[in-house]
Amino acid sequence: MLRVERICVHYGAAPALWDVSLNVEEGELVCIVGPNGAGKSTLINTIAGLNRVTSGALSFSGRDLGSLPAHRFVSEGIAIVPEGRRLFGAMTVRENLELGSLAPSAKAARHASLERACAMFPALASRLQHPASALSGGQQQMVAIARALMARPRLLLLDEPSLGLAPAIVIELFRSLRRINAEGTAVLLVEQNVAAALDISARAYVLDEGRVIAEGAPEALLAQPHIHRAYLGLGTS
Amino acid sequence: MTLPSPTLLAQAILSGVFVGALYGLLGLGLSLSWGLLRQINLAHFALAFLGAYLTYQLATAAAIDPLATLLIIAPIFFVLGAAIHWLLSRFAVTPLNSLLVTFGLTVIVESLIQWFWTADYRRLGSHYADITFRAGPLFIPLPELLTFALSVVLCVSVWATLRYTDIGKAIRATAEDAPIAAAFGVNQRRVAILLSGVCAALAAAAGLCLALTYTLTPSQIYAWIGVVFAAVMIGGLGSALGPLVAGIVIGVSEAITMTLTAPSWAPLVSFSLLIVVLLVRPGKA
Amino acid sequence: MLFAAVALALATLPFFRLPAFYETFLYLMFHWIVLATSWNILSGYSGYVSFGHGAFFGLGVYATATLAARYRWPFLATLPVAALVAAMVGIVLGAVVFRVKRVRGELFALLTLAVTFVLATVILNTPIDGGPGVYLSAVPIPHIGATPASTFYLLELAAAVITLAIAWWIARSRLGSGLFAIHDDEDAAEVLGVPTFRCKQVAFAISCGLAGVAGGIYALFVSYVTVSETFSITVPLTVVLMSVLGGTRHWAGPAIGAAAITVISYTATAGDHVLAGKAAIGIILIAVILFMPDGILGTLLVRRARSMRAAPAPDTLPAKSADFPSPVRASPLRGSGARLLYLRDVSKSFAGVQALDRVDLDVYRGEILGLLGPNGSGKSTLINVVSGHHQLDGGSIVFEGQTVERWPAHRVARLGLARTYQIPRPFAHSSVLDNVVLTAMFGAAALPRPEATSEARRWLEFTGLSAKAEALPADLNLHQRKFLELARALASRPRLLLLDEVLSGLTPAEIDGAVRLILRIRDQGTTIVLVEHLMRVVMALSDRIVVLDQGHVIAEGPPTEVMAQAAVKAAYLGTGVDAAG
Repeated sequence: MLRVERICVHYGAAPALWDVSLNVEEGELVCIVGPNGAGKSTLINTIAGLNRVTSGALSFSGRDLGSLPAHRFVSEGIAIVPEGRRLFGAMTVRENLELGSLAPSAKAARHASLERACAMFPALASRLQHPASALSGGQQQMVAIARALMARPRLLLLDEPSLGLAPAIVIELFRSLRRINAEGTAVLLVEQNVAAALDISARAYVLDEGRVIAEGAPEALLAQPHIHRAYLGLGTS
Repeated sequence: MTLPSPTLLAQAILSGVFVGALYGLLGLGLSLSWGLLRQINLAHFALAFLGAYLTYQLATAAAIDPLATLLIIAPIFFVLGAAIHWLLSRFAVTPLNSLLVTFGLTVIVESLIQWFWTADYRRLGSHYADITFRAGPLFIPLPELLTFALSVVLCVSVWATLRYTDIGKAIRATAEDAPIAAAFGVNQRRVAILLSGVCAALAAAAGLCLALTYTLTPSQIYAWIGVVFAAVMIGGLGSALGPLVAGIVIGVSEAITMTLTAPSWAPLVSFSLLIVVLLVRPGKA
Repeated sequence: MLFAAVALALATLPFFRLPAFYETFLYLMFHWIVLATSWNILSGYSGYVSFGHGAFFGLGVYATATLAARYRWPFLATLPVAALVAAMVGIVLGAVVFRVKRVRGELFALLTLAVTFVLATVILNTPIDGGPGVYLSAVPIPHIGATPASTFYLLELAAAVITLAIAWWIARSRLGSGLFAIHDDEDAAEVLGVPTFRCKQVAFAISCGLAGVAGGIYALFVSYVTVSETFSITVPLTVVLMSVLGGTRHWAGPAIGAAAITVISYTATAGDHVLAGKAAIGIILIAVILFMPDGILGTLLVRRARSMRAAPAPDTLPAKSADFPSPVRASPLRGSGARLLYLRDVSKSFAGVQALDRVDLDVYRGEILGLLGPNGSGKSTLINVVSGHHQLDGGSIVFEGQTVERWPAHRVARLGLARTYQIPRPFAHSSVLDNVVLTAMFGAAALPRPEATSEARRWLEFTGLSAKAEALPADLNLHQRKFLELARALASRPRLLLLDEVLSGLTPAEIDGAVRLILRIRDQGTTIVLVEHLMRVVMALSDRIVVLDQGHVIAEGPPTEVMAQAAVKAAYLGTGVDAAG
């Protein structure tokens, strides 16, 4: 469904991603892990249309996305939960959710989507009128995920959703992701919390210094020294 | 300093409310483009005056009802506003430089106005000016009442649009975080063009009010800059109702000051308020 | 000097007995040269664009008008008072406004405009003017020239010469370097040792005082002053236009702009084209901002500099350590176990997020301390708080025995602290060399300019940037910009160097070079705190490691020991979703 083929992305003159390829099939839950500065955010932002690809191909369900302007990505079926949530803080929770469903098809189903969101995240139902900035970190993360779901995406992108959250909330969060995936939405997840990410993923890619250095099933990856070396600097140098 | 009669004071407050509403209407376009588009459009005032002169011209030379002229002028100004915005964004002009560029535009528009209409005083003699209502001992001239009504209607309409409609939410979202708004489908460029066109159309409406209630002369463009900026900053950048409320507060304060002391003390009110607001709450509202 | 010769030549003009018209025309040109150049001293050099120059001009006008017309002072004696009054009001205003961090850019412009109107209203309504204006026709004009026109010509010529000389001198002085740094990045300048508040105050006071002098002379020239004419929007906007047209970075830019506009305005008003002239000025302003933001002079200078740099010079490798002596000042003898910096109970929160939560930290002399932690753990905040970039909410920081948490950042820099920024923040309009000279002048080393320049060259050589000394930061690639950050930090001869992700974005080969550089810096006696994500580098370089997570210190000790701890592993790799049950 999603095909990223040998893309390179630059920040100005500096290369951020080199020759990166990955794919996500319908209904899959795939994660991308790697140390900081590896380029994970750049990669997911590119897939969401927030960065331009310098070379290589990006396609979704057969359609080439490379030349599409950023605001058209969501109508293709891709929605993002950005790093740091990036809610519209001055606007209410409800308005944030409504903004997730601006496209005509999503708008028609807005009411139903809102109910689903409140059912999945009960804490939101009682806070619909609150300004988004007044919520706690964990609640904001829920709003960000719900906002993306309001767009009725076929592929949900998440950029480090566990950032700054207490461990107990992280567990809840990842369980929600599992549920969302079970209901049919493909999920591509970028995470620094390797253990949690690998627990719920079917497949994983390891990114380091702008390149994919490993990929495969979680158990297989954990057995390899790649992750330990990339993260903790231990093992053979 | 003898206290004036209650009637005089009440009449002063009333006229303060009316002029304050006009401050608010003038400030509306400025506040929206500054708060939501990050462009400080000093030319807003020149555009308003251009609209006023055009209203005068169409009403006088073509004998069209002044209120109806707005239907002609507003769409033209919509296009003008979009064009100015295009210019500023094409060159990625910073907020400070947008202040300077639009000052240049102001000077050009002022020269154009003076070329067509000369520096002579122009007063629109419409039949509206002849009608005055009475509420007890107070006089309420129709032009001022129309100005007040138009200001309130426009400010509330804009506020409601921003608050309740999808396009309004899209505008607010873009102002807060444009890339993420785009990620959820908001076409930033289209929003910006729409907004800047609307701001210019609002300037046309303010021009209509100016033509109805004031005698026009080109140099008067600058007289409004200070007090309207005060209303905008106090009311909050990007707010639709803020400038109206702040404008009325300033208008009434000025009127009371003028009644109690002398008319020439009036500017002190708005500018001192502006200074205080800038120091105490200098960030965006 | 050319300048002095021209000035002298101009001074002899009255002897030619030209029609008064020429002297008056030149008077006006000098008048605008004084106003535009004085405005530029603050607004052009430091970037604090003021729309209030008219206020200080007006203060000068009314100071002279009041003293000369009402109190019968001799005219020349009123001029110093005019300057003083304007300068004092400027100082008071600056004392209030320059302390409010967010009043910059367009807000400062609006505030100064508002001040103009407030002053105008006050003067209009008090006996200073009172409404009818002030007549100076009875004030005797001093006999400096043969005719009144000549007198004004010579007076204003003198004022113009003085103003230009002051602007020229400031541009070359320490004050000027500080102002230019403030223009490009005020926060970075403050953190690197520039006393920003003091620089702005001094520049503002000088700028206002000179405007006051121009006002005083103008009062007598027009011989009838009114509030509406004096405090109109013309003065503030015209000086902006003239300076922007000529180029705000150069001392002579505003003068060129003033001369050009005066000539254009004159040729327009001479004919029947007043309006066309006015519109032309508006068009010129727009065209300059959009197409020539550096102004005439600025654009010319940039082109000339670019053609001189056209020949590409090869990158030089960083010099070998044997090549040159250790320039770093040795720390006072205290033994290598001494604490250079310690933090106790430091807390900092941003908008509800607790970035640092009662952090205790020690840094010992001569060590390399690695500061690690996952994203969002507070590492950068720690650096920002120690360097004074942010004020902390609670706790204390002691550096070199001094309690510094409430100090302005530039004082902490003077004490011997320097930092690099994760995303390089060079001063964009200064050359690579000048970037480094700045910290050599304002940092702990506090060298006078000649010594600072040779010191700067030494550090450019150290980091391999000698060939790029005259280049602008925009011409450097990321690797070179990171090294410029390093050179700039080192030039202040710090005792403690905070490196914030200095390696991010570099290629593996560049990283190896940077690591060697860091080791040499330590060998020369500088203590280093290193915030880094690259594990292998941190393990190789650090003597000790401190790990942060969610604003807390969760581990501390030798590298291998720390990284093997379970808590650290959990912080980096996380805990499983199913494991917790």
